Amino acid sequence: MRSLRDVAVVGFAQDTAVKDRDRNEVEIISPVVREAVERSGLKRRDIGFTISGSCDYLAGGPFTFVSGLDAAGAWPPVKESHVEMDAAWALYEAWVAIQTGDVDSALIYGFGKPSLGDLHEIWTLQTDPYTVATLWPSMVDLAALQADVYLSSSGRSDRDLAEVAVRSLRNAQRNPYAVVSEDVSVDELLGRPVTHRPLRDTDIAPITDGAAAIVIAADDIAKRVCERPAWIRGIEHRVDPQHLGLRDLATAPSAAQAAERAGVNDGAIDVAEIHAQFSHEELILREALGLADGVDVNPSGGPLTSNPVMATGLVRIGEVAGRIMDGRAGRGVAHAAQGPCLQQNLVCVLEGSN
Amino acid sequence: MTRFVENSIVFPYKRSLGPVIGAFMTGLTEQRILGIRSGDQVIVPPLEWDPQTGAELDPDGMVEVGPAGTVESWTWVPAPSEQHPLGHPFAFAFIRLDGASTPLLHAVDTGAPDALRVGARVAPRWRGSRVGHIGDIIAFVPGEQPEVDGPDSGPAEAPVTMMDYNASITYRNPVPPVLDRLREASRDQRIIGQRCPVCERVYSGGRGYCPIDAVELGEEQDVDLPHTGTITNFTIVTPVQYPGQTETEPFARVFVLLDGTDVILPYQPVVELPVGEVRVGKRVAAAWAPPNDDIDDAGAMGGAYGHLIGWIPSGEPDVEDPDLVNRIF
Repeated sequence: MRSLRDVAVVGFAQDTAVKDRDRNEVEIISPVVREAVERSGLKRRDIGFTISGSCDYLAGGPFTFVSGLDAAGAWPPVKESHVEMDAAWALYEAWVAIQTGDVDSALIYGFGKPSLGDLHEIWTLQTDPYTVATLWPSMVDLAALQADVYLSSSGRSDRDLAEVAVRSLRNAQRNPYAVVSEDVSVDELLGRPVTHRPLRDTDIAPITDGAAAIVIAADDIAKRVCERPAWIRGIEHRVDPQHLGLRDLATAPSAAQAAERAGVNDGAIDVAEIHAQFSHEELILREALGLADGVDVNPSGGPLTSNPVMATGLVRIGEVAGRIMDGRAGRGVAHAAQGPCLQQNLVCVLEGSN
Repeated sequence: MTRFVENSIVFPYKRSLGPVIGAFMTGLTEQRILGIRSGDQVIVPPLEWDPQTGAELDPDGMVEVGPAGTVESWTWVPAPSEQHPLGHPFAFAFIRLDGASTPLLHAVDTGAPDALRVGARVAPRWRGSRVGHIGDIIAFVPGEQPEVDGPDSGPAEAPVTMMDYNASITYRNPVPPVLDRLREASRDQRIIGQRCPVCERVYSGGRGYCPIDAVELGEEQDVDLPHTGTITNFTIVTPVQYPGQTETEPFARVFVLLDGTDVILPYQPVVELPVGEVRVGKRVAAAWAPPNDDIDDAGAMGGAYGHLIGWIPSGEPDVEDPDLVNRIF
């Protein structure tokens, strides 16, 4: 959807750890929300809408997202909402709320503490409950099947996967929020064991506890509080069928549709942050988004090096916005995914100049 | 050292199957795999709706496929989880059954990964006793001929309409330091709260942050709370025997407003107070477990309140205040 009102990212913060043992979710979120609000230049009480993205299965309790609200400060009462999705979808809802004219600014946060349970099995619960979830293919099992489909139909090899992993791990060396990073060669990496054929551990996103928060604001507010706001030029999301057999898993049609509708290729792209939790997903998504070969993809290291579940997609938007706000990039695209084998995709185009 | 509490959550789903998945499951008990026609396609497992148009598909258009098929893609599972279909290493594969337009996800049992390749022909190994569940196929095995594991007890006597699905997830929760501090204090019969340095509200139960001001609360914010109070609200729970429920008789949970404070302790158990005598305004005092008793970490009350086992009638006259019932926060 194209915007009726100009809306921009004006503040972003994140925090991650391999296992955040001593802090509960609220204690992880609180400083992140505070930092994002401070950076936005807005006062907490002046932000019109608050919305989060999280997954109750991660903590194993009903309505755990409600306690998450304690981190955002909800008294006196605030307008509030929640999505059981990556917080990138919460940002979409906030963007729609601003489009309606109902509010002029919003705080969005996402959080996940997957170290408490078995993330890869928990994601099995989002598959078809009759004929798929009952066999308990883990998220990694399904991704490995998709990788096998992709490699055999594209003619690519695990060397292509290793190249994605190597670049991600190198980029992560400059990202303080990456939980793994390494300077390793493709050949060295190819010498390591294949753990989930055809994937190696470096092709699989690491378990990461963390949170992220973004503040967005409309029109004049964004211009007033931010020297160089990251304007949302297009934002769209689409979904593919749940039945895994109905899709050509070597492609991501819903990502391509979302990218087209968001106007990714209406201008040159300087930077892309892509929610690829497996190396082959980056290759599939590059094609779906129509990215040129020279585009700088996941300069942060991406989800292969830092994957705070339910915030990972929001971090992509934050990473692109951060590069626009500090002048390193002029126009960029952020992508978020949810569901098995890239079932659901959100694409957000951000730009510096007004 | 951080302590952990481990707990497994079981989701004992019972799912109704409807006309299409029900027929598919009934077919499995008959050692038949059914797909459904959608235009030129045969979709396996079947769907109730055309995925392109949303139009209802005709359950009479169900057709048998397989039983043998071709492996289209696969991955190896070297260390199966407890919930995986096989206890030894196996493959997950997309299998295009003969006559089907879409691949079916299932396990393939070849013993070793080098025995499997794309294009391999496989057929189902049926469970001898079948109930109408995707697990009625233990796995697919190399070859063209289906086989049955053990004595064959035959198809279901009536159409299968329901399915059990017992999902289970295990969590290891770290115990926050503030909870340990409160539990230790409870051994000395102290109830610790924490006072927010901004708004001065006092919180109980080891919350660790003020939700009004969104600030973290540390040890320096600890305060001792009184041991007497008044019941402001209550519920009588008649236990339903869901998995994990240990109570068998109706029991009370009460909200206690501590004297001289704004602190409400929610969902507290009562001691020596029959459910028929629980009422708003009733005066109560803290009841403590002996200091050397072990306290159950996983219990609803054990984690936060430690040796405080509940609230006992103090014998004082009731408080008559119509606003009391509104004090639940």
